[in-house]
Amino acid sequence: MDVRREIVFPAEPSEVWEALTEPERLEDWFATEVELEPRPGGRGVFRWGNGEERSASVEEVDPERHLALRWEDDGGEVVFTLEPVPEGTRLVVVESSPEWSTAFELRALATACAVA
Amino acid sequence: MRSRVDAVFQALADPHRRFVLETLAGRGSATVTELAAALPVTRQAVAKHLGTLRAAELVEPTRAGREIRYSLSPEPLGDALDWMERVGSEWDERLAAIRKHLS
Repeated sequence: MDVRREIVFPAEPSEVWEALTEPERLEDWFATEVELEPRPGGRGVFRWGNGEERSASVEEVDPERHLALRWEDDGGEVVFTLEPVPEGTRLVVVESSPEWSTAFELRALATACAVA
Repeated sequence: MRSRVDAVFQALADPHRRFVLETLAGRGSATVTELAAALPVTRQAVAKHLGTLRAAELVEPTRAGREIRYSLSPEPLGDALDWMERVGSEWDERLAAIRKHLS
């Protein structure tokens, strides 16, 4: 089960990449306090003002093109893909949850069996 | 009430309709043309599937200019889709915040 969003920023891929990978930039939009080592196997720790904290591991890094993180709590994955376009940079973000994927497939299967 | 439940079951029994629901949940919304591009069936077949999903109240159409966009009406599907809605709106907010900081 995937959540997918796509947006075009009027900025160079290098600027968008910085917003996604530099801790102080991530603190502008993602969490209140961020630690992140943007290299394969690196660790990320994200803290929010309400006391919530989540950890992730960095799975794939291709600078200015591709970044994949995996949440340590629910095993979900977040994948960012950047692409230069005439208007700037297209960013596609896909977050997937293995937990809900299974839940949805089981539900669909149960429904199909109930109908058959 | 029984007929509504039957309509939901019937709508979910077809793999193409389940694919349409997953796609709408993942993207937020899509047109018939966008859905037809992602499925190995004709535009007419997609329109028919959307009609069935609409009868089950699983999707709702919104007119945006000259096109009609379909989005998920997730209430009948429960927790899994609630998760998708929540995560989707979180990303909408985060991407808007990045845009603000990049401009």
